[in-house]
Amino acid sequence: MDELYLDNIDEFVNDHDKIVTYKWLSLTLGVHVNTAKQMLFHYLDHKRKESSPQLHATYLVSGKFVDKGQPGHTVSVVREDQLEDLKAKMSLIVSVHVYSVQKALLKDSGPLYSVDYDAVKDNLKSCSRYSAIRCAGAVPMSTQELQQTEREPQRAPSPELAAKRSGESKPAPKPSTKPQRGIMGMFANKAPAKSQESGKEVKPEQRGDEPMAVATKSKPAAKANPAMNFFGNQTSKKPDKAVKEEEAAAAAAAAAAAAAAAAVPSSCAAEQRHQSSPPEEKQEAAAAAAEEEEESPKDAKKDSRSKTKRIADSDSEEEKMEKKKRRRIKKPQPDSSDEDVIPDSPQQKETREPSPRPEMEVESVSHSHSLPGAKTRKRRRVLKARTFVDDEGCIVTEKGYESESYSEAEDDAKAAKRAPADFIPAKPPAGSREDEKKKSQKKTSANASKGSKQASIMGFFQKK
Amino acid sequence: MTTLTRQDLNFGQVIADILCEFLEVAIHLILYVREVYPSGIFQKRKKYNVPVQMSCHPELNQYIQDTLHCVKPLIEKNDAEKVVVVIMDKEHHPVERFVFEISQPPLLSISSETLLSHVEQLLRAFILKISVCDAILNNNPPGCSFTVLVHTRDAATRNMEKVQVIKDFPWIVADEQEVHMQEPRLIPLKTMTSDIVKMQLYVEERAQKT
Repeated sequence: MDELYLDNIDEFVNDHDKIVTYKWLSLTLGVHVNTAKQMLFHYLDHKRKESSPQLHATYLVSGKFVDKGQPGHTVSVVREDQLEDLKAKMSLIVSVHVYSVQKALLKDSGPLYSVDYDAVKDNLKSCSRYSAIRCAGAVPMSTQELQQTEREPQRAPSPELAAKRSGESKPAPKPSTKPQRGIMGMFANKAPAKSQESGKEVKPEQRGDEPMAVATKSKPAAKANPAMNFFGNQTSKKPDKAVKEEEAAAAAAAAAAAAAAAAVPSSCAAEQRHQSSPPEEKQEAAAAAAEEEEESPKDAKKDSRSKTKRIADSDSEEEKMEKKKRRRIKKPQPDSSDEDVIPDSPQQKETREPSPRPEMEVESVSHSHSLPGAKTRKRRRVLKARTFVDDEGCIVTEKGYESESYSEAEDDAKAAKRAPADFIPAKPPAGSREDEKKKSQKKTSANASKGSKQASIMGFFQKK
Repeated sequence: MTTLTRQDLNFGQVIADILCEFLEVAIHLILYVREVYPSGIFQKRKKYNVPVQMSCHPELNQYIQDTLHCVKPLIEKNDAEKVVVVIMDKEHHPVERFVFEISQPPLLSISSETLLSHVEQLLRAFILKISVCDAILNNNPPGCSFTVLVHTRDAATRNMEKVQVIKDFPWIVADEQEVHMQEPRLIPLKTMTSDIVKMQLYVEERAQKT
């Protein structure tokens, strides 16, 4: 092994300011991973002796570890300063080697993954070419075998994918859609991105609450998916931040949501049947609140919800909504399949977009029509996300939307929050509205929320 | 594969959406890496298939989103020349400036299937670069704050002042003090060129920070 590699690594680390991981090095230089690890070690050694500008390293330690009385095998990537500590804690050290070398002190492990991501992606077919892990039975399937497996469990992967996507929907675009549709994929991705971004006119809390909502939703639907773990952690943190009086409700809802996952989508769907685009989010608020109330033993809330719905229906504005309501019910029926969930998701997908954009709606509907497999996925994702938004501390927000439409107030997000404040003697959120407006909206929104509750229950039964 | 050109309705919106999403992630990451806010408020989330740190604080998130919401129309019309994230010390003197220079090629067209994944790859590289930039930058003094400036072409800001895109979120012309920095050192971080957008990121750092 010639000494050129030292110069190469030097160039990468110092001139390009890269993080050099052993995997990236092995793929770049075309050497076996063990060779790459040794190269990094020698480089580090060399540089440390020369006392040149500070280099940082991370190490991979693998060995037996007793965690709270449970023995197990642990593999950890640690910074240099934590290395000795970890080695001392382990009962048996199987291997220690350099994981990466870089100039920057990394605050977290995120960039380490990013570094390898592109290198592995470029070499996808042969990323294990230089790997030390071998399995004789792991042979890529031939195209015929692939087609067979694809045909058979076609349904099974799509719910998994849907669950995955619901978990990832919030911050990430959907890479699985991209290979299928180039430009259409862009618009499909834009829909959730837009709904996220157009939440500007919406209360501030909803933003923070949406990831929580998504997180809670992904929990019941969770399949083994590492991405879910990010959100799974969120769920545990969020209840602390929610309004105190609502903590119990939120927790109960989250717990019950797991059990009542089937009921949730159908009631959510039922809710949305009765609404139309302008108060889209409000409907979902009502829906979410409706599910919540059904699960928590608070009848007062339930009544208020249904009354809101009733009053909403009796409004003059509602006539338009009713027309749309009828249209909506007709639309998904041709597409209806066995599951209750599916017919509602085109609506929900449309209702998701807070600012009604006809072109986007048309696109999303036609888009969902075009590819049945993708349609299923999209619907599910939207469905879940909506439920989540409502389940978490965002109850306040969701109810708020609903109240807005019924009381015919302007975007009075703060005043809308008054509605749940009726039931929960929480502190009124800091707002810059006049008191009179608040009071009148308070009353109407309280009534409005009552009206919706009953209607939603009816919808629930009709759905069944 | 259809070819969309600039004349198509949603095209400018698409680019603006992509860029604003990216800028949101980039701003959060800059705040995390430069320790403008304590790292406890940040949480790992996923963007472009890699983990990034995003803040959980609702008001901070809302502020950043409102800011970018106002910037978006400028990007749509290709009026925004630079978006600058300025980190200032306690006396409101800029200490670091992360400058995103954005330009759009005049003959834009989306004609490639792999365009989006290519753009995603380039943006991923940006994010990675921001994560490791603390190797080349000196530490900031404690108690820093940040602000976002937008340099526009021509007189696009006149429209912004006339029409408040978001209520109670006005944009004002920046002070000289915030725009100019004493003894700046220029450190280029990353450049990307793609069919739909060209972006350059560099950091201007004050030689003496404390």
